[in-house]
Amino acid sequence: MLPSEVLQRHPDDGWTLAAPMNVGARTRRVLLRLADAILPPRPRTETTLEDVTEHALVCLRYMPSSTGLLFLLGMHLLNWSPLWRLRGLRPLTALPTDAARRHLASLTRSRWLPVRLLMMGPLGLFMSSYFDQDYVHRELDYDPGPFVAERIELRRRWVEGQEPGTEDEIHHLPVRAP
Amino acid sequence: MTILSHRDYRAGELYDAEVVVVGTGAGGAVVGAELAEAGRDVLFLEEGGYHPTSSFNPYLAESLPRLYRDAGGTIIMGRPPIPYAEGRCVGGGTVVNGGMTWRPPEEVLTEWATMTGQPDLGAKAMEPLFDRVEERIHAKPQHPSSVGEDSRLLEEGARRLGWRYEHNHRAQDRCVGSNQCLTGCPTGAKQSTLLSYMPRALSNGARCLTEVRAHRLWIERGRCVGVFGKGVNPRTREEDIDVRVRAKAVVVSCGAVQTPFLLLGHRLGRPSGQLGKNFLCHPNAKVLATYPSDLYAWQGVSQGGQIREFRDEGILLAENAVPPGTVGAQMPFLGEEALDLMKRYNAMAMTGVLVEDSHAGRVTRSFGAPMAKYTITRYDHDRFLRGVRHLAALHFEMGADKVILPFSNFHAANSVDDLAQIERSQRSRSTIELFTVHMMGTCRMGSTPRESVVDLSGALWDLPGCYVADASLFPTAVGVNPQLTIMALATLVAQRLRLPN
Repeated sequence: MLPSEVLQRHPDDGWTLAAPMNVGARTRRVLLRLADAILPPRPRTETTLEDVTEHALVCLRYMPSSTGLLFLLGMHLLNWSPLWRLRGLRPLTALPTDAARRHLASLTRSRWLPVRLLMMGPLGLFMSSYFDQDYVHRELDYDPGPFVAERIELRRRWVEGQEPGTEDEIHHLPVRAP
Repeated sequence: MTILSHRDYRAGELYDAEVVVVGTGAGGAVVGAELAEAGRDVLFLEEGGYHPTSSFNPYLAESLPRLYRDAGGTIIMGRPPIPYAEGRCVGGGTVVNGGMTWRPPEEVLTEWATMTGQPDLGAKAMEPLFDRVEERIHAKPQHPSSVGEDSRLLEEGARRLGWRYEHNHRAQDRCVGSNQCLTGCPTGAKQSTLLSYMPRALSNGARCLTEVRAHRLWIERGRCVGVFGKGVNPRTREEDIDVRVRAKAVVVSCGAVQTPFLLLGHRLGRPSGQLGKNFLCHPNAKVLATYPSDLYAWQGVSQGGQIREFRDEGILLAENAVPPGTVGAQMPFLGEEALDLMKRYNAMAMTGVLVEDSHAGRVTRSFGAPMAKYTITRYDHDRFLRGVRHLAALHFEMGADKVILPFSNFHAANSVDDLAQIERSQRSRSTIELFTVHMMGTCRMGSTPRESVVDLSGALWDLPGCYVADASLFPTAVGVNPQLTIMALATLVAQRLRLPN
C-alpha cells in the first residue's frame, strides 16, 4: 500500500462513527450561535458551522449520557449568560455575532472559575474540530500529509535495511553558533 | 488471531476463559500477554475498538472519538479543573501517548519498598522487570533523523542556561519522527501494546472482545468468577447486548480512574477505605512560544528529551508538539484573535511544565460515571509558577518573540521582563490552566489490608480471584512518565497471579 493511501481522513477499517446526539431545534440554534461566536470569521465554508456543531454532537455520543446532558445544559446557561452576568436582557442567540464574541471572550477571562469552566467545553469541541479542517490548515500553511507519507516511506526503507542518513534529518533553522 | 467486535456478539452468549483481563493498555496487555505466553487461556475485554496502524491518520477530529475516552472530553474537578486524556481502543493509552520509558527514580522505589515492607518493590529487585519490559517495547534513544527543531531548541536552551537535559528513551523501533504519537503512530514505529504485547498475547491463543464495557464483576460465594459487560453499539453508543465472561481470575486494568469506578460499584476496599483515594495525576502546564522563523515543531519526534535540572524539586520541562486542533482548543482566544495566533503555528514551540504530585485527590462514583477530584496545593502552585518562569525564560533566551502563558488572567509575555509579573499576578490557584495524561494511584499496593487496596501480587484484599494491574497500583507518585512502571508492575502481577485448582 502506498503511504498516500494509508492517511485517509476516513480510514476504511470497518469502524463506524457514531450518529450525532439528537437535540431539539432550540438547542441546535444555541450551538450554532456559540460556534459562530467562538470560531474565527474566516476561513469558513458554507457548512462550517453545521460541520463543527455536528462534530460536537457526535463527540457527545462518546461521553456518559449524564456528561452529555450537563454539557447541553451548560450551553443554554452560556446562551443566557448576558442576563446572569447583568450585561443585558437578551440571550446570545439574539445578539449580533461580534457582540456575542466579545461577551464570550470576557467569560474566558472571568475571575470566577465556574464561568471559565463553562467555556472550556465549547472552546474545546468547536476549536479542535475547526482547526482540523483542510481549508483551515491551508490558512495556517500546515499540511502534515506529505511529511507523514515521506516518513512512512523512510521507515519502510529502514526496515528493509537502509538506515536513514544525514540527508533524512529534519532541519528548518540555520545552525546556531556554539 | 481472535478479535471480536459488537456485530459478533449474540444475546445471552457466555465466554469462558482461565483469566479475563479488562483493558488492553500498558497494564492489561502486559499481564495478558505474560499469562498467555505461560500457557493460560486469556480473554481481553476492551471498551474501545480495534484500529490497526494502517487506519491512523494525522486528523484530530477523526482520532478523538476513535481512540480517546469520551472523545477527549474528560475532566478532573477541583481548583483548577484539569482536563485529562486517556486512550479507549485496543492498546489503550499506549496508542495515544508519547511512548516515554523512564524508570522511576531510585528513591521512589526505595520508598515503596519501605512503605510496604517488601524489598521486592525496591530498585534492585525491580530491575529484571524493567529490563524485560524495555527489551519487549524496544525502549531506546531516538535516531538523529527523527529529531525536530523544537527538541534541538530546548536542548540548546538548556545548554545555554547550564541546565541538565536528557534525551528520552522511548518505546520505539526505528522511529522516524512523524510526530503523530497523539493520533496513533502511522509508521508502526511506536511500540504501543497494540504492536508489542497484544500480538504476543493473540499469537499465544488469547482472544479479545472489543466494544464491550465491563459493568460489574461476577461474584459467587465471595469469589470473583467473571465479568458482566455490555456490547456498545458503535452507531448509537447504546449498550445493547449482554456479554458475560466466566473465568478463574479477573484482572482489572482500566486505568486509575475507571478501575476504582468499577470496583467501587461493589463496595470493595473497605478494610482500608483507600479504594479511589490516593489519586495522583502529575499535572502539566502548557507554555507556547512563537519564534521569528518557522520551526515546524510538528515535524520530528514528540518530546526528544526533558530538562531534568529541577527534577529534585519535582519539576520537569519538556517540549511536546500537538496538532493545531489541540492548540486551538486550549487557547483562551476566540475569533480573529485565535486565528492570528494560530497563523504562527509553524513558528510555535509547544512546551510544558510537569510537577510531581505533593498530595492526592480521589475518584468516586457520581451519576453513573466516575468523578475525579484533585486540587493542587500551594506548594505545587509555587513549583508551577517557578517552572513556567524557567521555561518562558528559556524561550526568550532562544529568541522567542512571544510566550503564551497558562494563566487565565495573564495570557502572554512579550519579553523576559514581563515574567516578573507572574508571581504578582498569580496568587490564586484557580487561574492556572493545567492538563494531564498521567493518572495514578487509587488502588494502592501494600502489605496489609489496613493500608492498601491490593496485596503485592495485585490481588484485592477483600475479593479473592480479582486482581488489579495498571497505574492505580502505585503507592505514591513516581514523578516521571508512568508507562514503564505500569508495565513492570503488570509483569509482576502476571508472575504472581495464582489460579484456583
